[in-house]
Amino acid sequence: MEPYKLDQRQLFVLIFLFELGSAIVIPLGVGAKQDVWLAILLSLMLGILLSLVYLRLYGYYPDKPLTAYAQDIAGPWIGKMVAILYISYFLYIASRVLRDFGELLLTFAYPETPLFILNAIMILTVMYGVNKGIEVLARTGELFISLLYFVMLLGFVLLIGSGLVDFRQLQPILEDGWKRVVKVVLTETLYIPFGEMIVFTMLFPYMNNPAKVKRVVISGMVFSGLNLAITMTLNFAVLGADAVARSSFPLLDTIRRIQIAHFLERLDVLFMIALIIGGFFKVSVFFYASVVGTAQLFSVERHQRLIYPLGLIVLILSIAIASSYPEHIAEGTKIVPLYMHIPLQIIVPLCLLLICEIRHRYVNHQLGR
Amino acid sequence: MKGKICIVVLLLLCLTMLSGCWSKKELTDLAFVIAVGIDKTKEGQYVTTYQVVNPGNVAGAKQIGGGASGVPISIFISTGDNLFEASRKASKKMSRLLYFAHTNLVVIGEGMAREGIGGLLDVLERSNQFRTTAKVIIAHHHSAEEVLKVLTPIDKISANQIIKTLEFSERTWGQTINTDVWKMIHDIASSGKHPVASGVDLIGSVEKGQRLTNVQVSEPDARLNLDDLALFKDDKLVSWVSGEAARGVLWVLDKIKQTGVTIEWNGKKEAVGYKVIRTKTEVVPHLKHGKPSISIDIRAEGDIAEAPVPIDLADVKQVFALEKMIQHNIKKEVLEAVKKAQQEKIDVFGFGDAVYRSYPEEWKKMENKWHEHFFPQLPVTVTVDAFIRRTGLRNKPYQFGR
Repeated sequence: MEPYKLDQRQLFVLIFLFELGSAIVIPLGVGAKQDVWLAILLSLMLGILLSLVYLRLYGYYPDKPLTAYAQDIAGPWIGKMVAILYISYFLYIASRVLRDFGELLLTFAYPETPLFILNAIMILTVMYGVNKGIEVLARTGELFISLLYFVMLLGFVLLIGSGLVDFRQLQPILEDGWKRVVKVVLTETLYIPFGEMIVFTMLFPYMNNPAKVKRVVISGMVFSGLNLAITMTLNFAVLGADAVARSSFPLLDTIRRIQIAHFLERLDVLFMIALIIGGFFKVSVFFYASVVGTAQLFSVERHQRLIYPLGLIVLILSIAIASSYPEHIAEGTKIVPLYMHIPLQIIVPLCLLLICEIRHRYVNHQLGR
Repeated sequence: MKGKICIVVLLLLCLTMLSGCWSKKELTDLAFVIAVGIDKTKEGQYVTTYQVVNPGNVAGAKQIGGGASGVPISIFISTGDNLFEASRKASKKMSRLLYFAHTNLVVIGEGMAREGIGGLLDVLERSNQFRTTAKVIIAHHHSAEEVLKVLTPIDKISANQIIKTLEFSERTWGQTINTDVWKMIHDIASSGKHPVASGVDLIGSVEKGQRLTNVQVSEPDARLNLDDLALFKDDKLVSWVSGEAARGVLWVLDKIKQTGVTIEWNGKKEAVGYKVIRTKTEVVPHLKHGKPSISIDIRAEGDIAEAPVPIDLADVKQVFALEKMIQHNIKKEVLEAVKKAQQEKIDVFGFGDAVYRSYPEEWKKMENKWHEHFFPQLPVTVTVDAFIRRTGLRNKPYQFGR
């Protein structure tokens, strides 16, 4: 554990950057077609319920990360297994996000550069940041959030200004009823990005004011969820459902369509900025969580010593997990939610909370007697 | 000492990391393709024509000198089974790499368009270089190759000439439509709307048009004119509409920005000129007993631009009468366009999409039969509100009261 304490604003910034992270650039929840905003808002609500579970666990163990209190709750053996599971999960998701990032850059900006080089440069930066500690990450976040938000606002204003937004493309609303929306929520948008808040259980102990965590988490999620919903809605309003469904990166297509007065055009760089800032923070948070988790589990005093081996694992994993982009996406949408997100974001935390509650009640009961 | 070595190593690392020249391409190694033309041979191969900018001869500097400087564009033609193959094959003919990031125009030959564009545009939206904001135009009566060869006088690069003409003509006259690749793909993929694009015609001889002498005379031997609108059925060019019916199409699509309407007065045809400044069209679908219908509401605002007949424009009653005539004229144009489209069974207006948006359930039943059955007999009502706001710097024309 580092001695540094995050303040409310820093936690908020990290949550915001993390939640938007890669979600803003990938085709998130496009299965819901023009009802995507409903899907995102619904998953936001369910995601907040989930994070209430994480927050309640945090309430019982305000100075311990998930990997530590899992051992307290489930006993040393099962607890350690759970901790290892979570550490591998964070490492794996870090490498998935890194792969996303590399694939995106390769596809539209650096077609001739090997994936390995791009991923290596990114992970080196992430490793450097994590090496410097949570304080540096949080402060970098405070700097970059203004840039990211400026870029988003600029993009928004330019889109409106160029007259591309056609809200008729959002009609009809709920053409097949709620079925499609609920399906997307339960298979996709609930877990990415809202359920991924599980990783913040590793960061909560760094908060200087535990009483405010709940407020910060919920406001951060609501704020980023609304931004996500607006962005995806704009994608549909500009491109139409058919084009979004065919696009690998809808936001890029949307930005590419901006043409104002023959000189404000080809603004791909806005997309690049959003992608790199978001990607960096998402990988960093996952990577940081796995590093401090490992350090805690194996009682390594200086977590910095784990950065190089674990960073290398993330880098190699990011190349090895899939041989092609379609394979990577198929894994991410079909296999990962079922075998990783649902158990580790929902089932395990719920079980931990259940055991914790029962034990506390039982113990209190005994004490009372 | 150790620290110094570290710094040197770090600096060297920076050197490799920060330069960013992984796959650098020097400006002098790139051929900037400004326009792509697509035709098809009888054997079914695609013929692509690349209009490449000849940088030395573009900027006005040498042009004034006249004779000595060459032409501003250069044409390369390549054939292949698909566009990608053709573009790579073209490397045998040129000393530079074809670079498509600045391609602003796609010309499709009429023959090719009639056979069907098919999935050909896919490569244009899939490529990371090409921009889907490039405009699409159909070469009328000619092949794309011939159109791209012509040298044009005012804008030296003929692709730019076509693009600017498209843009300004749509903005001021409204009988041509400024379509881009993205819109074209969108419409081909849509089940409730058919694509529409403008045509460009070549007046004069191609042979003379591609020589520098074409731009050295005040009236070029060969000119590129925008003409009719090409109506597509899915991906196939089916027919052309021209004149007022073409403008009718743009009225319905809400694409008219400014235009001129001429009005009959006292038996004199095309007497008063009405300058439209602002318009708004709304297409509203209705459904009664499972039968769809469409109402089109057009609202136009404008000024009197010309009154060469004795008419008292200070008289409000006369102005109201004029407004009635304008409404009648616009309505006529729109109905003409609708009639033509219904005859050809081509829903270029997106009425199907409008029905889908408002009545998704019923649309599912109509979708398959929309173009054959529902659209051709769709009842369409048009209401036009036209307003004359101002009459220019004069009220009565000088012939009035003589």
